[in-house]
Amino acid sequence: MKHLRILLLLAGLAPAAATHAATIEMTVNGLVCGFCAQGIEKTLRKNPATDDVLVSLENRLVAVATKPDADIADETLREALRDSGYDVTAIVRTDRSLDAIRAGVAAKP
Amino acid sequence: MRQTRGHTACALALAALPLAAAAKPIAFAHGTTVMAEYGAGTMTEVQAFYAPSYRYSFGGGHLALDSELDDRTRDITYLRFNVLAKRWNLPTAQANVFAWGGVGRAHVGETGEDDFAWNAGGQVDYETRRVYASLRTDLHESSAFSHRIDTLQLGFAPYAHETNELAVWFVLQAREFTGGLYDGTEVAALLRLFKRNAWIEAGLTQDGKLQAMVMFNF
Repeated sequence: MKHLRILLLLAGLAPAAATHAATIEMTVNGLVCGFCAQGIEKTLRKNPATDDVLVSLENRLVAVATKPDADIADETLREALRDSGYDVTAIVRTDRSLDAIRAGVAAKP
Repeated sequence: MRQTRGHTACALALAALPLAAAAKPIAFAHGTTVMAEYGAGTMTEVQAFYAPSYRYSFGGGHLALDSELDDRTRDITYLRFNVLAKRWNLPTAQANVFAWGGVGRAHVGETGEDDFAWNAGGQVDYETRRVYASLRTDLHESSAFSHRIDTLQLGFAPYAHETNELAVWFVLQAREFTGGLYDGTEVAALLRLFKRNAWIEAGLTQDGKLQAMVMFNF
């Protein structure tokens, strides 16, 4: 009985499964000027689900890292990019971190 | 006297600005653009615009014109509304058509009188990460004068910049003025640098005069 109580106590202390943030990667047309693309980051950072934003001209990519257990609807993302003056052609959700994407961008010759 | 006025106005404008492909009158939704240009002594202009949407912005500016040919000068303070009439977002390029118009007040130097003035203009531009081309026209009119400033810019970037990197461009600018401000075509070779939300370009005209512009988005 004593062992059972200890077992139940330990089970109650077991940590819940860790949640993870997702990365939303968007392919965007018109990304040719960093000065002009400032609005993308500004607009996306206003969304409460956004943790971090990466804009890569080389890859025609706008990537958003969301907060744990948070997501942003595709239409919301398309509207945000439209409000910034750009067109989204594709949206995918991946497990890539923004740091990994940044490293990939920096590594290209 | 004319050049001193132009230099002073430009210095004041640049001092007022927080500094840290084509200059556009609309930055992005809920964005503010401030710009100052010193055009070789013939024109000096400062502008500030706010864009509630990426499709339009409003604001105003001050334009000082000093003729290279005689003693005519104009100081025009104006309000303006800008519209992005059309944009093409392509996989590796962007093209735009802008239009604008507004009203203001002009001080005519040679008569000492103030006059109602209106302005209108437009710009078409095309850019990739390596080449840039724009054609812009600005018309300022009152009962005492009519001046149009036409500007063509062709730019080349030695490398394709990334978002948070310094962008470097070599730009050739050709400009013509109507209404007795300048005779012929003024040509300038410019170096353009921008990073994040600060933009500066500067160079010399064929007359050895300074042509410079700074712009800041926030």
